[in-house]
Amino acid sequence: MPGPEHYVALSALLFTIGAVGVLVRRNAIVLFMCIELMLNAANLALVTFARLHGDLNGQVMAFFVMVVAAAEVVVGLAIIMLIFRTRRSASVDDSNLLKY
Amino acid sequence: MTTDFQLPAIDYQAISPLLILFGVACLGVLVEAFVPRPARRRVQLGMALVGVLAALGAVVLLAGTNVVTAGGSVTVDGPALFMQGALLAFGVVALLLIGERRVEPGGAFVAQPAITVGSEADQRQASAPGATEVFPLAMFSLGGMALFIAASDLLTMFIALELLSLPLYLMCALARRHRLISQEAAVKYFLLGAYASGFFLFGVVLAYGYAGSVDLAAIHAAVDTSQMNPALLYAALALIVMGLLFKTAAAPFHVWAPDVYQGAPTPITAFMAACTKVAAFGALLRVTYVAFERLAWDWLPVIGVIAVLTMLVGAVLAVTQTDLKRLLAYSSIANAGFVLVGVLAVGRTGASSAMFYLVAYGFAVLGAFAVISLVRDREGETTHLSRWAGLGRRSPLVAGVFTVVMLALAGIPLTGGFTAKFAVFSAALEVGEGWLVIAGVVSSVIIAFPYLRVVVMMWLSEPSESTATMVAPGLLTGTALGIGALAVVGLGVVPGPVLDLAHDAALFLR
Amino acid sequence: MSELSEASGLLGYVWLLVAIPAASAAVLLLAGRRADRWGHLLGCASVGAAFLLGLGMFGQLADLDEHRRAVEQQLWTFLAVGDLRVDFGLLFDPLAAVFVLLITGVGFLIHVYAVGYLAHAPHDQTHESAGTARRRFFGYFNLFVAAMLVLVLGNNYLLLYVGWEGVGLASYLLIAFWFSRPAAATAGKKAFLMNRVGDAGFILAIFLLFAQVGTVQFSGVFAGVAGMSSTVLLVLGLLLLLGATGKSGQFPLQAWLPDAMEGPTPVSALIHAATMVTAGVYLIARSHPIFSANLTLQTVVVSVGAATLLIGAIIGCAKDDIKRVLAWSTVSQIGYMFLAVGLGGVAYALGLIHLLAHGFFKAGLFLGAGSVMRGMDDQVDIRRFGGLWRFLPITWATFGLAWLAIIGIPPLSGFFSKDPIIAAAFDRPGWTGWLFGGAALLGAGLTAFYMTRLFVLTFHGPKRWTEGQRPHESPPVMTIPLILLAVGTVAAGWLMSTSVVDWLTPVFGEAPEPHGLLSHGQVTALTMAVVVIGGVGGWAMFRNGTALAPAPAGPVVTAARANLYGDAVNAALFEKPGRWLTRALVYVDNKGIDGIVNGLAAAVGGGSARIRRLQTGFVRSYAMSMLLGALLIVGAFVAVQAGWFA
Repeated sequence: MPGPEHYVALSALLFTIGAVGVLVRRNAIVLFMCIELMLNAANLALVTFARLHGDLNGQVMAFFVMVVAAAEVVVGLAIIMLIFRTRRSASVDDSNLLKY
Repeated sequence: MTTDFQLPAIDYQAISPLLILFGVACLGVLVEAFVPRPARRRVQLGMALVGVLAALGAVVLLAGTNVVTAGGSVTVDGPALFMQGALLAFGVVALLLIGERRVEPGGAFVAQPAITVGSEADQRQASAPGATEVFPLAMFSLGGMALFIAASDLLTMFIALELLSLPLYLMCALARRHRLISQEAAVKYFLLGAYASGFFLFGVVLAYGYAGSVDLAAIHAAVDTSQMNPALLYAALALIVMGLLFKTAAAPFHVWAPDVYQGAPTPITAFMAACTKVAAFGALLRVTYVAFERLAWDWLPVIGVIAVLTMLVGAVLAVTQTDLKRLLAYSSIANAGFVLVGVLAVGRTGASSAMFYLVAYGFAVLGAFAVISLVRDREGETTHLSRWAGLGRRSPLVAGVFTVVMLALAGIPLTGGFTAKFAVFSAALEVGEGWLVIAGVVSSVIIAFPYLRVVVMMWLSEPSESTATMVAPGLLTGTALGIGALAVVGLGVVPGPVLDLAHDAALFLR
Repeated sequence: MSELSEASGLLGYVWLLVAIPAASAAVLLLAGRRADRWGHLLGCASVGAAFLLGLGMFGQLADLDEHRRAVEQQLWTFLAVGDLRVDFGLLFDPLAAVFVLLITGVGFLIHVYAVGYLAHAPHDQTHESAGTARRRFFGYFNLFVAAMLVLVLGNNYLLLYVGWEGVGLASYLLIAFWFSRPAAATAGKKAFLMNRVGDAGFILAIFLLFAQVGTVQFSGVFAGVAGMSSTVLLVLGLLLLLGATGKSGQFPLQAWLPDAMEGPTPVSALIHAATMVTAGVYLIARSHPIFSANLTLQTVVVSVGAATLLIGAIIGCAKDDIKRVLAWSTVSQIGYMFLAVGLGGVAYALGLIHLLAHGFFKAGLFLGAGSVMRGMDDQVDIRRFGGLWRFLPITWATFGLAWLAIIGIPPLSGFFSKDPIIAAAFDRPGWTGWLFGGAALLGAGLTAFYMTRLFVLTFHGPKRWTEGQRPHESPPVMTIPLILLAVGTVAAGWLMSTSVVDWLTPVFGEAPEPHGLLSHGQVTALTMAVVVIGGVGGWAMFRNGTALAPAPAGPVVTAARANLYGDAVNAALFEKPGRWLTRALVYVDNKGIDGIVNGLAAAVGGGSARIRRLQTGFVRSYAMSMLLGALLIVGAFVAVQAGWFA
């Protein structure tokens, strides 16, 4: 029977996968998905802690986070599409005009 | 569970500045939908300016208020009001720059950013009037910033963070000229910003896990009483602080700033540099002073190292920059370090000196970007340092304003920059943080050099064929320039009133 | 400190002293072309008005009772941070009064001279009309005077610092005034760099003061000196001294001053001879309670002064550029002032007397040099002058008086000011008295030597001009200031040596009885002896001119020096070791001190260029740096929490 600490550990694992994924993937969409994974890891932990504290607020907060994530998707996809149209590539490594 | 759902008590007057800002932003969306295109810019600009000024008036009327309202999610106290006031004052100046259409025909923003760069349709819109959506976007962002400063729980803070960031990401991509780097800046800012807010959110969650609440005061109370593993609390503190430091552009989370400052349309860069800085430091002050004050002895050395690193990285890297917008980005990084010195002087003096610094810096940087938007050639703005050689001879007045602003940033006495640096350094000394002051003085010695190099380039070089032309500022930019220069000099010569105001305001309500 | 008096009568308008030149500067810099025709007149008039006002206030101050001879005027609160409260207040006491008169008086003469000088100056270099250049020049000049007056009139360290930065900025702009010359721009940069090093010391000292006594007001600070530990006093004094050496071109930050001669000659006269460079002396004199309270500190100041006066004098012997010789001589003379203020007690007043006397004769020398250069088509190499006394009689006469004054021939001012300093140095107890007294004495001999060399090579001996030169005397607008300065040089010394000590008594206290190694008479005799040896030696050696160096000066010049003086006996006995020492010093100066400063700058620049590369432009590497940063912070906090650092 898994306890709350297992859920927290899973959430931390998901968060780490997301955080590292941002570093190792090139496609902007995949990068963005990794960031979403980090947000969802946070959601999992929120729900777990809500259960642990016997407090509903945590679950409500998870909904807030989902809404925010949805808004972020709208903006993010718009920007990624914009640059894809110009460059014909979704690789973030191609956007390299600004440096030093 | 049969608990009655109770409506939270809301002090509408206390949150009236927020309501005005969001109301105008929503109206702006409606204007986009219903007002005919030719009239939109006037309506939008007028509405936005009236809205921000009204919100500023509401803030002034609220002076002295100390309440927690909206179900415990918004705190209206001295620091919140002071920094909202500063934010809105900067907002007015930034809106003037955003609304300018004299300097660049059609304005600094493109009508249809989604059209592929370089395509035929894109060339057709090259001189068409620009997007007016930028006004509601800016208003949403301003509203988010005002909320960010006043948020008294971490969830509200997270939502405000996203609310202020998302419009900024979009506005970065709207440049009329140099579209490729504008879009690149938007992508970079978006990805890194979302990444950082992921960390921030996880920190919020861990804080919730430790304290059972995301309310700042509740976290403060839980520091001694919670049964949870304190590692949770420290990890939460680290991640939350990191998310906020990202927005303030402190090293090593500053990496986005140079690219984004350089790529974004100049009015937006000005908006980011002045307003986002205030908002981010407002939130950082509130989190560290209200929720984590009891851990001050633990976070002081860590953030202290970050402050030193930030000042040095900003100052040293500014030395070799050749692009003015990038130079100002590094300057903004170094200045984040100086403000951090004030933040680290935990107490009333520290908070007030940091707040004063933000005011002085904001006006100076707005003035600087206002001048940058005027220096152009056929391709648009020319920000390379070499193109500025001899500008002082061509347009002494505007170059004079830029000189004053640069002197202020360099911290030469009788400008706001000097008073501000003096304030944060003496605040840090008062609490015995001498090492920060030494690092601060060394950094300000280093960073004075690039600023003054620009001044020397402008005045003491011959204008040549490659020297850019200075477009005569229109009414809007002219007003912005005037406000910036007057504020910089005023804060240097008679800083007393603002210092007093900051001091009176610098008590956080827990 | 004496008590304050009521600011009544004219003394209620101390602020006008600053406001007049400041307002004039604002008009000149902002009015644009409209002011081109009359701008320079306004510039001169404003400084003249400030001088007359200063004179009137001086008279009123003198009428006050000796122990209440100081007036303070609070204008407004400059800033209030936490417990710190700094008022924008002015203090007009005997020390400030002396400086006000020097700045506005000599400043006025130099302003007038500049009108004539600029009429001749090569404006085509600047691609702007002569009127615009002149207006801008006088704008900066007035700005400088205003800043300098803030410096000496401020009643707290912060305001002093405000003026300090202001004069630095103005001098930076003025050095680089001839901006199309790359050397001028480089010189401006170097002056800026070295001054920043000094300024950093000064501002740290201010912070330290604030941390120690909670105020930066002079009165409060000096009251708090008694409560400071000797270590704090030492650090504080050293930081102040660092600031002072930077501004005054003292060892180890002396290299910028001679390079600053790239600016127009009136600038050299006003800023780099008469006023700004003496700000360091003012700072130490003003802070005398701090310096008097710690013996080690005094010894350091005296050593800096002695070292600098020798370095300046020795290098002065080797330079051939008329303005550079004068610049090194300035370095050396300020060394005397540092020596004096370092000795403490009554010697503070001696240092200030020398400062005043120096203000007159060095301004005269620089303006005379400008007049010579003007007559010789901007030639600066003294080996290409000679026999000019017949063609520039007024310049010759005034320059000659200033020359006699600087080497200390009675009854000119230099004698009355320098001689007591040497005597005071011998008064120091123990071997240090011999050491510093000997250094000061040797310096006097060297000064006589190189100044005589300069004078003889310029005005006497065979003509060594380049083809087609027709030397001519300058117009009255330039010669009248020269004559007035010469009159000051003749009169001032005696006047000052008797009355200035009494005048400054309320500031520095009574003179103690001298109990020296040598009596004053013996010192005077010794000094006269070395001065005469130096002067006669210089005259004899350069009476017949000197060998010409190949026209394009470069490393060749150095090599060609081997047969510079012709006389083999001289070379063996006196020249070779002297030249070796000179060259070694020049080398150390160029490579060592310059090297350190330039090296620091290069290190920052190089580091910057390298670290820049980390900003690769790849969003993923940015994310990496953020992730690493996050890990480090989390790690640090977890470590703190686990108590690993405790």
